[in-house]
Amino acid sequence: MAVRFFGQYLIERGEVDASHIREALLLMDAENPEVGQLAVERGFMRPRDVSRVNAEQRNRDMPFGDLAVEMGLLASPQLVAILKDQRARRLLIGEALVRLGHVAKDRLGVLLDAYKADQARFDVDANRARVLPDGLASRDVTAHVLDLLPRFMFRVARIHAKVGEIMPFDGAPDFAEVRVSLPIRGARSLEVALASDFPFAEALAKAASGLDPRELDPEMVADGVGEFLNVLCGNAASAGAGAGSRVELGTPDYEAELCDGWRVELAVGVGRAALVLSPF
Amino acid sequence: MENAVASKLNVLLVDDSRTVLAQLERILADIPDLAIVGMACDGAAAIRMANESKPDLVLLDIVMPGLDGLSALRTIKSMHPEIRVAMVTSVSGDAARVEEAFRLGACQVIGKPFEVDSIESLVEAVRRDRAETTVDSD
Repeated sequence: MAVRFFGQYLIERGEVDASHIREALLLMDAENPEVGQLAVERGFMRPRDVSRVNAEQRNRDMPFGDLAVEMGLLASPQLVAILKDQRARRLLIGEALVRLGHVAKDRLGVLLDAYKADQARFDVDANRARVLPDGLASRDVTAHVLDLLPRFMFRVARIHAKVGEIMPFDGAPDFAEVRVSLPIRGARSLEVALASDFPFAEALAKAASGLDPRELDPEMVADGVGEFLNVLCGNAASAGAGAGSRVELGTPDYEAELCDGWRVELAVGVGRAALVLSPF
Repeated sequence: MENAVASKLNVLLVDDSRTVLAQLERILADIPDLAIVGMACDGAAAIRMANESKPDLVLLDIVMPGLDGLSALRTIKSMHPEIRVAMVTSVSGDAARVEEAFRLGACQVIGKPFEVDSIESLVEAVRRDRAETTVDSD
């Protein structure tokens, strides 16, 4: 149970193997035009301007189009038109696999439907993003964090959890014996912290690791909480960031200083726990 | 006895979380003819241990402190193309990163939380691949 890419799903089903995916990616590289190429085709940029942006990209970790706009070499409406054109012309991995003869054309639709049904488990409640407080950055990622938490909590630890109201952060909860946080970096970065009492953290770590409680030292308990956050945030960020967005997930901080932001009380089957969401 | 040892699938586990290493160890313990030859918690240690133990399969996390999983994958595949490397990651929905893993030679990308079935299927696929490679080289 995880958010996954179509090619990976096909390998898991035994429809193709990794070498077929590599071939398809090479075909996509050869056929899918890049933003700079489309900008030149449409007369928006000169080839030497494209080279200038490419050179600047070595120093700046920014998508080509955004950087070209920032450098004054491309207008925002032109970039929007190019991205639309790029999406329309994009050869997708399924089509590439059909072209290469690794997936039958009449089977692709069936596989895509099955894939979408599989991934529908990660759709979020459409109302969730609407009720998030104003000013909370990364709304889509946050909506996914809150919506996926009960599903992953049950999947990983068989702990029932219900997400409570989102309140302004007013200090660390008095039960916060274990505090682990994990940063999701992007255009709008968010730190997600899980603060809990020891019984909750121990139950989570025990279920996640499968170890006997006698083998769980405090460090291992914190590690189990960190791994749960890693699973939750990785999947939420992947699903919520949108197609084409790169997810930069950090590693857990096991002595998290809870920062300003929002606090979300969790009703859990064992002990006490809360999430703290801090934009940064 | 020599054949039995030779037919064992040797696996190296790499993840910065002790919880994940314990999970994988528990799942793999139930699979016959398989030996865990080492466990590492970062990319640099993974490369060193892959060099030393030459496993059949490496289960490699992507997001780790220090040298990350994709950098370790690149090095391991460049030095030992015959070693199968499967990424085990919570960012398996990040298409760009998953595509990069396949381009670098990963044989599969398994999302966290993983199912026991996914790990068992992977091991079976690697065994089949190893058997076919052995027949081809004969």
